[in-house]
Amino acid sequence: MDMNPKDMHDSPDARLDAALTALRGELAGIDTPRCVEKELLQAFHQQFKPKRRWYQALSLPQWGTAGALCSLTAVALLLAQSPHQAVSVSSQPLVSFDNGGAFVALDSLERIEAEPDARLVEAEVPRSALAPLGVTVSPDNAADTVRAEMLVAADGHPLAVRLSSTN
Amino acid sequence: MTTMTTIPLDTADHELLRQTHAGRADAFTALYRRHQGPLYRYALMRCGSPEMAADVVQEAFMGLLTQRFGFDPLRGQLQHFLFGVVRNLILKLEEGRRRQVALPEPDEDGELDLDVACEGAEPLARLLGVEAAEEVRRALALLPPHYRDVVILFELHELSYQEIATVCQVDIGTVRSRLSRGRAALAKRLQALAPACT
Repeated sequence: MDMNPKDMHDSPDARLDAALTALRGELAGIDTPRCVEKELLQAFHQQFKPKRRWYQALSLPQWGTAGALCSLTAVALLLAQSPHQAVSVSSQPLVSFDNGGAFVALDSLERIEAEPDARLVEAEVPRSALAPLGVTVSPDNAADTVRAEMLVAADGHPLAVRLSSTN
Repeated sequence: MTTMTTIPLDTADHELLRQTHAGRADAFTALYRRHQGPLYRYALMRCGSPEMAADVVQEAFMGLLTQRFGFDPLRGQLQHFLFGVVRNLILKLEEGRRRQVALPEPDEDGELDLDVACEGAEPLARLLGVEAAEEVRRALALLPPHYRDVVILFELHELSYQEIATVCQVDIGTVRSRLSRGRAALAKRLQALAPACT
């Protein structure tokens, strides 16, 4: 443990102690110039620059260019797919009429083709009830009945309807 | 500094240092404000030039910021560590100046001609207004650096022998003898200055 040297010194020179006390008092109000703190803080911010996120790395014009490229790509993809879909729709119509009969697919053709255990149910249906399916109905034949053959899946789900004598 | 300090005042130095290195400007500000005063005053008394003292304090904190100076909290207080850094930086600057200008060598007891002018005394004299303080400051400036270190750290910063020994990298016995001789030389010079002032 350190002894207090002032006790040890028991200085005869009171003038020195008084002068040192005066110097301590004078120094107490002196701090580093403010510019030092400012420069240090600048150095601090230089060293710890906030990391930019990936989306901040691009400027506004760069983002515009990227957006335009994405839009063009999207349009090109749509155009590339559209003809294929049009062909598939036109080659496999959901409703077809031939020789006075009508075939109405109530589900997708893929689903109908994939059904392993479909069964056929026959019924006589009023023509007026078939109007929502696209069958033409006039006042003259509204009272007629139509022979309908319904294709039903194993689980009872209706797959398609064939109508006879729809004229 | 523009950043608002939101850190509690009693936060430990090592915690402030850790947060500083994690990028918290307010921690660095708090650390700087806590220690800049004593370090600057020590440097000012040690080298006598406000400009050099400011440069040295700035460099010490820059070293702390960039981790150029490795501080180990287990080996002592940050302030004492910083005193040591400032002292070494001043020694380095003085070494550079000594190569350019041949300074008068003190004798074994650190006795120097009192007429020797101290570089940087004039700017400092403007800072210190009181006559007694100015007298002892001038006498202090004429002490050999290794005595000056010990006297400043003990008399003006109230560090213990052990703490001064750590800062100056000498043993406690050396601190004792340097302090004793330094005080004696100061008293002698003040005595010599007294008639001239009256």
